Amino acid sequence: MNALGTLLLFPGGLALLLVALLAEWISRKLLARLQNRVGPRWFQPLADTVKLLAKEEVIPEGVHRVLFEFLPVLSLAAVLTAALAVPLFGVVPATSYAGDLIVTVYLLSLLTLCTSLAGLITDDRYAAMGGLRVLSQLFSYEAPFLLALLGPAVAAESWQITRITAHAGSNVWMLFTQPVGFVVAVIGLMGKLELSPFDAPEAHTEIVAGSLTEYSGRGLALFRLSRNVALVVGLTLVAALYLGGVSDPLAFAVKTLALLLVITTVQALFARLRIDQTIGLWWHYGVLLALGQWFLILIGKGAA
Amino acid sequence: MTTQPDSAATPKRFTIPIGPQHPALKEPGFFEFTVEGETVIGATLRLGYAHRGIEKAVVSRTWVQNLYLLERVCGICSHIHSLAYCLGVEKLAGVTPPPRAQAIRVLIAELERMHSHLLWLGVAAHDAGFETLFMYSWRDRETILDLFEQISGNRVNHSINTLGGVKFDLTAEQIVSVLKAVELMEERARYYLDLVRNDPMLGQRIRGIGTMSAAEAHRMGVVGPTARASGVGRDLRVEAPYAAYTAIPVVVMLETDGDLQARFIVRIREMFESCRIIRVLLDHLPEGDLQARMPRRIPEGETIARVEAPRGELFYFIKSNGADMPERIKLRTPTLCNLGSVLALCIGRQLADIPMLLIGTDPCFSCNDRAVVIHQAGNREKWTWEQFRRYGNEALR
Repeated sequence: MNALGTLLLFPGGLALLLVALLAEWISRKLLARLQNRVGPRWFQPLADTVKLLAKEEVIPEGVHRVLFEFLPVLSLAAVLTAALAVPLFGVVPATSYAGDLIVTVYLLSLLTLCTSLAGLITDDRYAAMGGLRVLSQLFSYEAPFLLALLGPAVAAESWQITRITAHAGSNVWMLFTQPVGFVVAVIGLMGKLELSPFDAPEAHTEIVAGSLTEYSGRGLALFRLSRNVALVVGLTLVAALYLGGVSDPLAFAVKTLALLLVITTVQALFARLRIDQTIGLWWHYGVLLALGQWFLILIGKGAA
Repeated sequence: MTTQPDSAATPKRFTIPIGPQHPALKEPGFFEFTVEGETVIGATLRLGYAHRGIEKAVVSRTWVQNLYLLERVCGICSHIHSLAYCLGVEKLAGVTPPPRAQAIRVLIAELERMHSHLLWLGVAAHDAGFETLFMYSWRDRETILDLFEQISGNRVNHSINTLGGVKFDLTAEQIVSVLKAVELMEERARYYLDLVRNDPMLGQRIRGIGTMSAAEAHRMGVVGPTARASGVGRDLRVEAPYAAYTAIPVVVMLETDGDLQARFIVRIREMFESCRIIRVLLDHLPEGDLQARMPRRIPEGETIARVEAPRGELFYFIKSNGADMPERIKLRTPTLCNLGSVLALCIGRQLADIPMLLIGTDPCFSCNDRAVVIHQAGNREKWTWEQFRRYGNEALR
C-alpha cells in the first residue's frame, strides 16, 4: 500500500504531474512578464491539459496507427519512470540502485526519441523535418549533458543518485567546484527540453509545430505533460547534483525553483539558433568544456 | 511526403510548402521550396490569394468614395495609399493643397513609417525566434497608434487625407504628445539599433545572410529599405519630393552590406530620420487653411503619382474621363518589386533562414495581390506579355 502510494500519489504520480503543471505555469508566467505580457492564470496549464484530453484525437491518413497512439503513452511512462530514481521534493527516491543515474538520463532521452519518431511516422513534411531536427539536436546535446552529469558522479565515486546527492550534501556545492559542468548541464537540459533558444525542432515560423504537427487531443496532451514532467525531473536532477544535495526539502524546493527561474530568463534573452548552429555550439564548445572539466576532476582525484 | 524518385545518384529531396496558410506568413502567399536536407535548392512563388478586386471596385465608385476604399488597400500603411491617390487626383484637378495640409500629411506619413518599421521589426524578430524583441517592439508601436487615435479618432485607417487637403488639424496638446512620442521613439530606436548591431545570438541569424549586392539589387529592381540596405539609394522623398518633402530635405539612410542585418539597421536608422523630420515639421508648422477648394468634376486626363511608402515606392496611375468616377486606377505596391529577390536569395540557404529572408523584404500580400489566376484546363501560369497587356488594359473596361 505504501509503495503504491509512493508510485501514484507522492512523490511520484499525481503530485509529480501537478508540480509539472505548476512548473509550466511559473515558466510561462515569468516569461510573459519578462516580455511585457500579462501571461496565463495559474490553472491554465491544467485547463489546457483537461481540454486537450477531452478533445477528439485526429489520426491522420498514412500514419502507423499503433505507433501514433502508443508513442505519447510511452514517453509519459518513460519520464514518470525516470522520476522514480531522482529525489523529487527532496524526498528519498522510490528506488535506488547502482548506475541509476545513467538509466534516468536515458529514460529522459526516450522522450526525445518518441518525439522524433512521432514526427517521422507521419506523412507530414513539417513533422518529418521536425523529427529529423529533434534527432540532430539529440546527438548534439546528449554527450555533453551526460558528461556534465557524470562530473558529480566522478567526484562522488558512484553512479548512484542517492550516493551522489549524499556526497553533494556533505561537501561544497558542486556549482562552485565544477562551474563549467553546471553551465553545460543547465544548457543541456534546455536543449533536451527544446526550450528557446534551442527550439529549432519546433520552430513554428519554419515547420509549424515540428514533429508534433499532426498530434491533437490526447496524444498532444500526453506529450506536453511528459515534457513538463521531464522539466521537473531534469531540474531536480541538476539541482540535487550541483546545488548541494537534498538534505533540507524546503531549501531544495527553493533551489529547484531558482533553477527554473534561471532557465526561463535565459529563454527570454536570445533569438533561436538554427539547427546547424546548435550542433556547432555543442560540439565546438559544450563537449570540449565538459571534457575539460572532467579531466580536471580526474586529475584532482588522482592528486588527492 | 512527396519525395522525388529515389535512386542512388540523387539524394532525397523534399518540397516544403510555405503557405497559403503558414505560421511564418501573416498573409496568404504560396512558396514552395525544394530542400535537400536543410538546404534550399529551388523555390517557386504563387500569389493572388488575397485578391480583393479593389482596382475593379474603384471604377464604380466616386472620387470621394475611393478615398476610403484605397485607404484600405494596406492594413498597415493606410495613409500613404490615400496620399498617393490624393496627390494624383489633385494633380489632375490642378489644385495645390495649402502648406499646413501638406505638412500634416508628411507628419502622418512619417509616424506611419515608424509604426510600420516597428511592426516589421517585431515580425522579423518573431521569425528569428526572438519573442522578447517581438513583444517589445509591438509594445512601442502602440505609442504611435495611440497618437493616431488622439489626432484622428482611429488607430489604423485614420482617414486624414481628403481631396485638396487634410481633415484634421493639430491642436497644441497634440503637438506636445507627438513630440513626447518622438522622444520615446528615438530612445527605443537607439536601444534596438544597439541590439541589432551587437546581440551575438541575433547576429548569428542575420549577419551575412541573404546578401544582395548593389548590382543585384539594381537588376532585380528592389525598392525601399530593401534596396537601401544594399547601397541603392532609391527614395522618392529625395528623387521626386512631394507634399512638404519639397521643403524638408530627407537624408537617405544607406547601408552597404546588403545582408539581413543591414535591412534591420536601415529600417531602424530610418526611424531616427523620421523623428528628425517630424521635429523640423513641428518647428515650422505653417499656419493657414487645411483644405483647398476642389472642382466639382475632375477634368479628363491621366497622371502618375509616386510616393515613398514604408516598404518602398508606391505607384498610382490614375485616369479620368471627366465623369464622377475614375476610368482606371492602377496601383503597384513595393512588395511585388521585392518578392522576386527572395526567390533568388534563398537558393543555397538553410531552410531556417527562409522565413527571415522572406520577411526581410517586409512583404505585404494583401496590398500586393492585384490579379488572380484560376486554374483551367491548359491555363498555365506563364503569361505572355500580350496577355498581361490585355488583362491590364481591357479586362477592366
